[in-house]
Amino acid sequence: MEKLFLCNVSDIAENEIKKVENSTHGDIAVYNLGGTFYATADLCTHATASLSEGDIEDNLIVCPVHWGTFHIPTGKAEGFPCEIDLRTYPVEVEDGKVYALIEQMVDEGSAIIAKAN
Amino acid sequence: MSNKIRTIDITDSTASLDQLCDIENGTISGMMFSDEAIYRKELERIFARCWLFVAHESQIPNTGDYITTTMGEDEVIVVRQKSGEVKVFLNACPHRGNKVCFSESGSTRGFICNYHGWSFNLSGNLIGQHESSVYEDSNFDKSRWGLREVAKVDSWKGLVFATFDPESPSLEEYLGPMTWYMDALFDNQEGGTEFVGGCIRSTYECNWKIAAENFVGDALHAGWTHDSGAKAMLGGSVTKISELGESYSVNWNGHGYEFALDTVGNVAALGEKALNKYIYQIKPSAEERLGAFRSNMIASVSSCTIFPNFSFLPGQNTVRVWQPRGPNKIELYTWVLVNKSAPEDIKEKWRKGAMITFSPTGVFEMDDGENWEYSTKTAKGWVTGQQNLFIGLGMDTLKRDTSLPGNVFSGQLNEANGRAFYQYWRDLLEAESWKDVPDRNVGKAEVQ
Repeated sequence: MEKLFLCNVSDIAENEIKKVENSTHGDIAVYNLGGTFYATADLCTHATASLSEGDIEDNLIVCPVHWGTFHIPTGKAEGFPCEIDLRTYPVEVEDGKVYALIEQMVDEGSAIIAKAN
Repeated sequence: MSNKIRTIDITDSTASLDQLCDIENGTISGMMFSDEAIYRKELERIFARCWLFVAHESQIPNTGDYITTTMGEDEVIVVRQKSGEVKVFLNACPHRGNKVCFSESGSTRGFICNYHGWSFNLSGNLIGQHESSVYEDSNFDKSRWGLREVAKVDSWKGLVFATFDPESPSLEEYLGPMTWYMDALFDNQEGGTEFVGGCIRSTYECNWKIAAENFVGDALHAGWTHDSGAKAMLGGSVTKISELGESYSVNWNGHGYEFALDTVGNVAALGEKALNKYIYQIKPSAEERLGAFRSNMIASVSSCTIFPNFSFLPGQNTVRVWQPRGPNKIELYTWVLVNKSAPEDIKEKWRKGAMITFSPTGVFEMDDGENWEYSTKTAKGWVTGQQNLFIGLGMDTLKRDTSLPGNVFSGQLNEANGRAFYQYWRDLLEAESWKDVPDRNVGKAEVQ
């Protein structure tokens, strides 16, 4: 388990998103939903798009390119054309700092196959 | 002049405009309304060149608000940017040309093509596609394939105009001193104007110029054409316009405004006493803003066309575009205009009044429609289309000693504006570029 520093609590206003670049795990989108922080992969699972450039509508992130939606707390693909769920990261807030808890990723391809089954 | 049938040699109609449109001698011909080659030339040299009305600011107040309309036959999207400015794009995907926005109006975060999922943001930039990785693998340059943006967009007192031609004069120069007169409707109260209700769309089987020319300066038809309509609305005939006293026809660059100074002649035709009363209520403050002369125009017997196809009637407050759809057809877009500061019930009365008079079922609209359709249909006859049509009324009525701006002619029962409209039309069709368009304005360009 890796504890990755994302940003300060003060960096993201309520109902805003911040993109945290990360070359190891892929860029991470950090959300402040009414004071609660969430983190998901920043790359849309449908086509090339940075979700942190999208809009938050209730608990959904609306992809800026094709307007598909994901449920921010669970990463579940909700609206067309999104079909594949978004990877989410557990978040911890300590002393005004936001961290993601990143588990060692199993082979990503087999994870998707496992999910399809 | 004899009543004999005229036969002219027309191998190329677009090269025979001198014979078909002879303004010096006060004649035009039906072929101007029916000929396919002339129509194609109009799309190129008028609609792809001139400033065209595309929206009222009040239709798209917020970021992402848009309307769709046409510039000539080109479909366009008019959309409010995050910066507050307005952009106008061709409503066609740069990939296979499919229409990207099917709605007449709304609010959006961008436009996505139904065909291959090309997605454009409000600025028209291509920001992605379905299967975007395929494009990325083939070194596709997204920055070159955004929505195509018109050359220039500008606005005057809430009216947004656009042009496809980067060489066109500025909107200010194009409208010239006509704006001084247009203030009578668009700036008679603090806060300006807005559209109320939506866009009313209908079609006529008539040439766009016949309708535009009617509004540019044909008060003459009103008393005769609209007699029965006026009796229905007012309980009596249209006022005898020749008895209204002082009146004018003013034009500039093919635009024209004809008007009397009777304050309420047009609004009275809506048959709503509360509207007449409103006009008299605002007249003192209109006079403060605009002076006595123009305060007499705020709802008087009057009409205006801004070349080529944007028209309005002060008082009836109908604002319209005659969208060309081939030589023998128009799609008419109309809206109802009100002062933003007017009470809600007054706005509603105007909306209803305009529906009763100048909507597809309106009593005056019907009267005009039949005349315009038959003026167009007769022109389809090969022989009929070659005959001279008289447009010579008021040939010697130019007022040289006037302080009023523009080319000023005395009397609104006058075909001076119609002639100026058709002369400008011909000048544009014959001109290779804007530089070649002759300046025929003789009046004052300055607005005091």
